[in-house]
Amino acid sequence: MGKSLFRFADALELAVVYAFCFFLNLLFNYVKVWDFNSYILKAFFKNFMDYQTLIVFFFTFIVIVFHYQMLYRKKIEVYCRVLVGDTVLYIAIRYIRDCLMVLTVIYLLFLLIHVHLKFCLTGNIFLVFIFIIYILISASQVRKYENF
Amino acid sequence: MKIFKFFITKIFLRKAILCISMFMLLCLANYTTFIASRSILSTLQGYQEIKCMNQEGIFIANLDPDSNIDMDIIGETGTRIVYDYLNSNHKYAFYTDGFMIAVPNDDDMEISLCYMNEGYYELNQFDISHGNDLFFDFQLDKEEAIPVLIGTGLSKTYPVGSTIIIDEPVLGRSVILKVQGVLKQNSCHSNFYALNSKSYYNFSIFMPVNQEFIENANIDLQLNGLMDLIILDTTKEKTEDLSRFMYDNLGLKFNFFSQEENFDYFNDYYLYSLKIIAITTLILLVVITCISIWNALVSIRLMMKDFTINLLVGLSYSRLRRIFYSYFGILFGVNLLVISSITALNRYECWLRKDATFVTYGLFGLIGMDWLALLVVLFSDIIIGMIVVESMLRKIKKIPISLGVLQ
Amino acid sequence: MTDIINLSIKEKVYQDKKTKLSILNDFKLEVHAGEKIAIVGESGVGKSSLLNIIGLLDMDYIGEYALWNTPTGKVRGKEMARWRNEKIGFVLQESALINSLTIEDNIKLPLLYAESTKKKLRLEDYEKVVDEIGIRSILKKKPLECSGGQRSRAVFARGIIMKPEIILSDEPTASLDVENRERIVNLLFHMNKEFNTTIITVTHDLEVANRHDRVIRLERR
Repeated sequence: MGKSLFRFADALELAVVYAFCFFLNLLFNYVKVWDFNSYILKAFFKNFMDYQTLIVFFFTFIVIVFHYQMLYRKKIEVYCRVLVGDTVLYIAIRYIRDCLMVLTVIYLLFLLIHVHLKFCLTGNIFLVFIFIIYILISASQVRKYENF
Repeated sequence: MKIFKFFITKIFLRKAILCISMFMLLCLANYTTFIASRSILSTLQGYQEIKCMNQEGIFIANLDPDSNIDMDIIGETGTRIVYDYLNSNHKYAFYTDGFMIAVPNDDDMEISLCYMNEGYYELNQFDISHGNDLFFDFQLDKEEAIPVLIGTGLSKTYPVGSTIIIDEPVLGRSVILKVQGVLKQNSCHSNFYALNSKSYYNFSIFMPVNQEFIENANIDLQLNGLMDLIILDTTKEKTEDLSRFMYDNLGLKFNFFSQEENFDYFNDYYLYSLKIIAITTLILLVVITCISIWNALVSIRLMMKDFTINLLVGLSYSRLRRIFYSYFGILFGVNLLVISSITALNRYECWLRKDATFVTYGLFGLIGMDWLALLVVLFSDIIIGMIVVESMLRKIKKIPISLGVLQ
Repeated sequence: MTDIINLSIKEKVYQDKKTKLSILNDFKLEVHAGEKIAIVGESGVGKSSLLNIIGLLDMDYIGEYALWNTPTGKVRGKEMARWRNEKIGFVLQESALINSLTIEDNIKLPLLYAESTKKKLRLEDYEKVVDEIGIRSILKKKPLECSGGQRSRAVFARGIIMKPEIILSDEPTASLDVENRERIVNLLFHMNKEFNTTIITVTHDLEVANRHDRVIRLERR
C-alpha cells in the first residue's frame, strides 16, 4: 500500500485503455499506407479514413470514463487520506504523476512500433495531448471528494 | 413509465459521462454496420445488374492496363474501321456516358448524356415509369427528332411527348430530342470494375445510338464506346480476332472476358473484398461490443447503490430488465436518427452541389439501399443491446442487495 | 488550563441553486486540553459540520478559529495535513473505510503519512491497539467482509493509532451492540485519562453524552 490512488489493477486498466486508443490510431495509419488493390475496399475504408481523427477522438471517451469511474470509486479513499494527513493537492499531484507514467510507458511502446513500421513518429502526438488534458481535468475533480 | 422516467432523469443522466460514452460507442458501432452493409448491398446490387451481361457467349471488353492511349495513332479512321469490322462480324452492346450538357430544367442541373445502342438497351431492360420504350431505327436527319428516355428529375420540365433542343456534343450540332419515356426513379448504373460505385440517371438523357449515329459522332464517343464494349453471341476465338484487329488499327490492346472469367473475377476480387469488409466489420463490432460491456459494467459499479436501493424497495429484476432495454432502445433510436440524418444530409449535398450523377430521390432523402442498411443496423443494435443489457443484469444479480446498498 | 480550541463562527452556509441553509450562527466554542465534550442536537443542526470545521476539513465558513493558539487561517495546507495526521484523530461512521484495502491497511493508513521516527513508535503501539479493540481476527479482511460493528472498531483504531491530542468522533457507537459500545467509550475515556487527549463527540446517545465533562446542545435558530 502506498500513497497513490492507483492499485496495480487500476494502472493495468488505464494502460489497456490508452493502448487501445493508440492501437486504433496505429491501425488507421497502417490502413492508410496499405495497398488495397480493390476499389471496394478502398471505398469502404475511405469512409473511416476520412473521419480518422473524429473516430479516434470518440474512442478516447473511454479514457474519460476510466478517469471518471476511477475517481468516483476512490472518493472515500480521498476523504480517508485527507483525514489521516494527506492533502487534496498532493493526492492530485500523485494522481497526475501516475497517469502520466502509464501514458509515457504506453506512448513509448507505440513509438517503438511506429519506428518499426517506419510510420510518422508524430502520428500519435495528438492523442498524448488529448490524454494529458483529460488527466488534468480529472485531477481537478479530486477536490470534489475532499468531503464526502 | 413513471419508473422509467425516474431512472432516466435521476440515475442514468446524473452520470452523464457514462451515457455520452455509451452513446458514442453505439454510434461507432452503428456507423460501422451501416457503412459495411451499404457497401455490401451496393456491390450485390451492382452484381445483379451485371448478371444480365454475364451470360454464356457474352464477352466484355477491358482495355489492357499496360496500353497507352496515343491519340496520334488512333485517329478517326482507326475507330471507324473498328466499328465497320464490328458491324460486319459481331453483335455488340454499346454504352458510354459522362457527356455533360446544359439543358434548362427546374432544378438547374447539368445533364448527363448516356449513349447506348439497341444491344445494350435490350440487355439491361431498364424500367420505365411512364411513356414508351426507346427505339433505334430513327434517321439522323436534321428535321427528325431523336427519341430519348429521360430521368425522373427532368420529367417535370419535359413530360412525355415534349421536345428538347440541345447542342449535341458528339455530333457537334444542334439536334431535337423527343421525350419517349421517363425512367424509373433512381435508375442507376454500376461501374463494371467497382460495383459499389453508382451513377444515377435521375438527371440523364438516354440517347439511342445506331450505326449511322456512331458513324457521324466524333472520336470521343467512338473511342469511349470501345472501352466498355460488350460482344454478344460470340466465341473466344472470334473475340481474339477482334482484339488483334483493334490492336492493329488503334494500337490498343483490349482483353475480352468470358462469363467464366468474369465469374472468377467476381470470386477473386469482389467476394474477397466483401469477405474482408464483413470480417473487419465483425471484428470492429466485437471490439465495440466488448468496450460497451466494459462501459456498462463501469456504470453498474458506480450506480450499484441506486439500483439495489430500488430493488430493496420493490423493483423486480424483470422490471429492471425492461428499464434497461427501454434505455438502450432510446440510445439506439437516437443513434439511428443521427445516422439517417447524416446520410440524408450527404444525399442532399449532391443536390446542393448540382451533382447530376449522384442526386437521388427517396423517403426523407434516403434511398432503398439506405433503408435496407438501416434495417441491418437495427438488427445489429438488437443483438448488441441484448448482450450489453444481459451482462448488466448478470452483474447486478451477482451482487447481493445488502452489499449493494452498503456500497 | 489553556484553551486548545478557540472557535467563533458567525455563519456556516450550505447553498445550492434552489436553497440556502445557514447553520451554526454566532456559535462559540472554547475547549481546554484534556476536556471531554459531547455535542448533541437534532439532525441537520450542524453537528458533523462543526466536527469538520474543528478537524480542519472545512474552511468554508464565516468566523475565526484558533487551534493551539494558532489562527487556522494562517496555517498552510501542508501544516494542517500534518496536524490531522499527528494531532487530530477522526473516529467517524463505519463507512469511512477504503473498501479496496484490508482492515490492517486501513488502520495503518495514518502511518503512511507520519514522520519516520513517529512511525516506528506508533507501529509498536499498533499491536496493542488491535488487541485492546479486539479486531485481530479481521485484520486481513476487507471492510465489506466485516460486520458493521467490526468496521466501527476498525475506524476507531485508525483514529487513535497516532495517539492524537484531539479525538473527534462522529456517532462512534451508532452501530454497536451494548458490549462493544462500552468497549469503545471506555477506550475513548482511557485515552483521555492516560494521555490527556481532548475528546469531542457528536452523539444522539444521551447516556454516552452525559458521561462527558460538558454537553453542548446545538439548536436550530
